[in-house]
Amino acid sequence: MNPQIRGIADLDRVIHEPGRLMIVALLFAVEKADFLYLLHETGMNKGTLSSHLSRLEEAGYVAVVKTYRGKVPQTLLSLTATGRKAFEEYRRKLKEAL
Amino acid sequence: MDQVGSLLKRPKAYYNIDGVGELEAGVTCLGFGLIQWMQVRSPAHSAWHSMWVFCIYFGSMFAIRHYGTKAVKERITYPRTGFVEYRKRDRVWPAVFGAVAGPAFLALVIHAYRRHWDLTTGASLVGLLSAASYAYRFAREVRWKWGVASAMALGSILIAILPGDSIGALTGHSWLAVCLPTFILFGPLLLISGAISFWLYVRHTQAPRQEGQ
Repeated sequence: MNPQIRGIADLDRVIHEPGRLMIVALLFAVEKADFLYLLHETGMNKGTLSSHLSRLEEAGYVAVVKTYRGKVPQTLLSLTATGRKAFEEYRRKLKEAL
Repeated sequence: MDQVGSLLKRPKAYYNIDGVGELEAGVTCLGFGLIQWMQVRSPAHSAWHSMWVFCIYFGSMFAIRHYGTKAVKERITYPRTGFVEYRKRDRVWPAVFGAVAGPAFLALVIHAYRRHWDLTTGASLVGLLSAASYAYRFAREVRWKWGVASAMALGSILIAILPGDSIGALTGHSWLAVCLPTFILFGPLLLISGAISFWLYVRHTQAPRQEGQ
């Protein structure tokens, strides 16, 4: 297989999905953010965002912590070290492929 | 890839979504302007020239800035559009830059004073740099803020072309107050711009119902 085409085929499919790519890119730039912030920035609905976050959590890319801000429940999300590495790798491969 | 790049910049822009970044900058400008004004206008032996008043003044100013920002973020911004904790390097670098740039700027002013350079031009250059920095940080995200950036740049140029006597009358011909006209101009501009941003933010956002986030 042509190496450039192989590069595209090797892209991390968990991150490559547009919704998850948005989430990972936003979390990459911060230490942590809450569910509401991602909801506001991505424009997704709660169900879609939850399902993408579950997929990222399964892959070990996102850490989810349920807590409270005063009396209001708050879900804090952050990229794990694996997630950061995977995103950097994804960007590098995508740049090479383009 | 550009879209990914712009997504990576979104969290930084989010800091000023409520105009608090501009309000902070406005308070700082007015704070610096006020103490320079007091030092120029008060007699040489007044309390305004003592180190302890200087320390209390800046301590209070930065405390108001810090706790004011925290209160707005916690009570208004986070419940409406979400919480973000920035990476340590993003919080440390601006502080390091301030700690290096502040004394460097003061050393430059002292050097310029000793060499009898025209300090008004320097103050205008600082103003133009600040206008460029404002345009880069804030106006890129919101189109109407280019008007504020333009007003800052025009004001800086105006300070440079005003007769030296009128600037001297304002600054008491003191080299310490060389940036006073810039602070007096930028402080209210930033406060107005920040207040408009805050008003627009409150008007167009709403906290979601309690069912959770």
